[in-house]
Amino acid sequence: MIEALIGFAAIFLLAVLRIPLAFAMGAVGYVGLGLMRGWEATAASAAQSIYDAGFAYTLSVVPLFILMGNFVARAGLAHELFHAAQAFVGHVRGGLAHATVLACAGFGAICGSSIATAATMSKVAYPSMKKLGYSNYLATGVIAAGGTLGIMIPPSTIMVIYGIVTETNIGKLFAAGVLPGLLCAGLLMAGVAWITWRDPAAGPPGERSSWAQRWQALRGIWGVLLLVVVVLGGIYGGVFTATEGAGIGASGAFFFALARRALSLKVLYEVLVESARTTAMLFTILIAAMLFSSFVNFTTMPGDLKDWILHLGLPPVMVIGAMMLIYVLLGTIMEELSMVLLTIPVFFPIVTQLGFDPVWFGVLIVLVVQIGLISPPVGMNLFVLNSLIKEVSLPQIFKGVWLFVLMLVLALVLCLEFQPLALWLPSFMK
Amino acid sequence: MPLKKLLETLCSALAALALFAIMWLTLVDVSGRKFISTSVPGSLELTEILMVVVIFAGLPLVSLRGEHVVFDSFDPLLAAWLRRAQRAVVDLLCAAALLGAAWVLFVKAGQMLEYGDTTAQLKIAQGPFVYLMSALCATTALVHLLLMVQPVDHHHPGVDDEPSPGSAA
Repeated sequence: MIEALIGFAAIFLLAVLRIPLAFAMGAVGYVGLGLMRGWEATAASAAQSIYDAGFAYTLSVVPLFILMGNFVARAGLAHELFHAAQAFVGHVRGGLAHATVLACAGFGAICGSSIATAATMSKVAYPSMKKLGYSNYLATGVIAAGGTLGIMIPPSTIMVIYGIVTETNIGKLFAAGVLPGLLCAGLLMAGVAWITWRDPAAGPPGERSSWAQRWQALRGIWGVLLLVVVVLGGIYGGVFTATEGAGIGASGAFFFALARRALSLKVLYEVLVESARTTAMLFTILIAAMLFSSFVNFTTMPGDLKDWILHLGLPPVMVIGAMMLIYVLLGTIMEELSMVLLTIPVFFPIVTQLGFDPVWFGVLIVLVVQIGLISPPVGMNLFVLNSLIKEVSLPQIFKGVWLFVLMLVLALVLCLEFQPLALWLPSFMK
Repeated sequence: MPLKKLLETLCSALAALALFAIMWLTLVDVSGRKFISTSVPGSLELTEILMVVVIFAGLPLVSLRGEHVVFDSFDPLLAAWLRRAQRAVVDLLCAAALLGAAWVLFVKAGQMLEYGDTTAQLKIAQGPFVYLMSALCATTALVHLLLMVQPVDHHHPGVDDEPSPGSAA
């Protein structure tokens, strides 16, 4: 137990000294294992871990989904999505903010990243809202919060990584994300309604579109809808594996971008290099987390903690609730992916021991990451918006986002309480 | 610095080509299997080898642009000279860790070559690719040593530049 605690402390110390988290985790895992098992065995097993993570067919799902998102983003789809959503709901009070949430949800069905969804939407939704006289706090708050739908609505990078580390079926995780994703979207829209009810000037209604205009707007997005249906439908229906689906999705997105003349050779090259860089960055963390978790698993900590918690005899849902509280608190200051990867080796055995479905826990993890990404003071989505929309100050963004943080916490509580929200759809999968 | 530029060009080209190849390979393989019941022989192993290239050729690029996840909230509190010194020490430690990784992979590559490990279907020798992993780790270590002399600011993908739709979360 004590060895693992020293390990965790060492990682935090190194991280505060500004060592990249991946290197901190990897080094602590290596040294810890070396001290406990001997250096020769550790060197061999570290080499094996790196080798296994590199030569892994199923892990090609990561770069392929990233590639798919990047192609579609470059194709300028965000505009069409936003305009389609605007055509339907733009005329109500706070209509453009509602449209932002809907467009984020749509974009999330192709893109697996919250930061990317928020960044992309900021370029489309913010200027429109500004033109209509929306107040800054609502405009930025809703984009930051809407962006997090990118990781709950499949595909989702976080789910893929959770699936890889815990050996949970990625297709089932994706299916599990659909209803909670829609729930989050609904709650965010409720948040918008509440804000504009209290402060109608924050989000004035826009013009009403005719049905002809609405169908026109929908025509701009049918290609991508088809792609989503083929890729996600194919994975859910068991037509192909998540990895195969990701390949089809990336190729489809490539042809989609090509057909829209959005791809020059230069842009294609940029998209590929950018996706490769993101992949390498994720794998560095992934490999380091694996090294660290093999150290933690070698200590008595997972077992001790498990025994202790079982000994306490608390209601199982309360144990999970306590974990979620820890995550939400940690998420306000920590980078979310590393937070999840660091804690999984300790928390995950408890979850399975208590008899919970790893798929359900995966959805909860995504929710706490969503919350972490938009909760001040350290929320990546907020920083993204702050750097992309220079005229709105960080405190303004904080002011706009807190209600949405509460809404996502409510979503977390609902998913915690009603497991079928997550588990009903995957139950139809083979 | 021309060395930096050279490394960047070379690794970018390698990683981009490998990733594009994975995409096509998966497309052709899956459509072949679903529609005409034939798959690309050894497509699994080819994808694995290409994955190694994407990840490990991408690694020097991540370091070059300072895109690793760091906890940088304390940066504004430090004096400029202290920050500079801190960066240098951090890069030195990163280089050391990467050299360590390069070394264990180098040993493993030697063993695999000695045992004659190959992929199951196409019988491609795996040793050379593990040497490649090792060499690219060492290259990344070199990048961090270069950064000691010529530091880059930490770069949040998608934040400090055009959005990068694939970022971590």
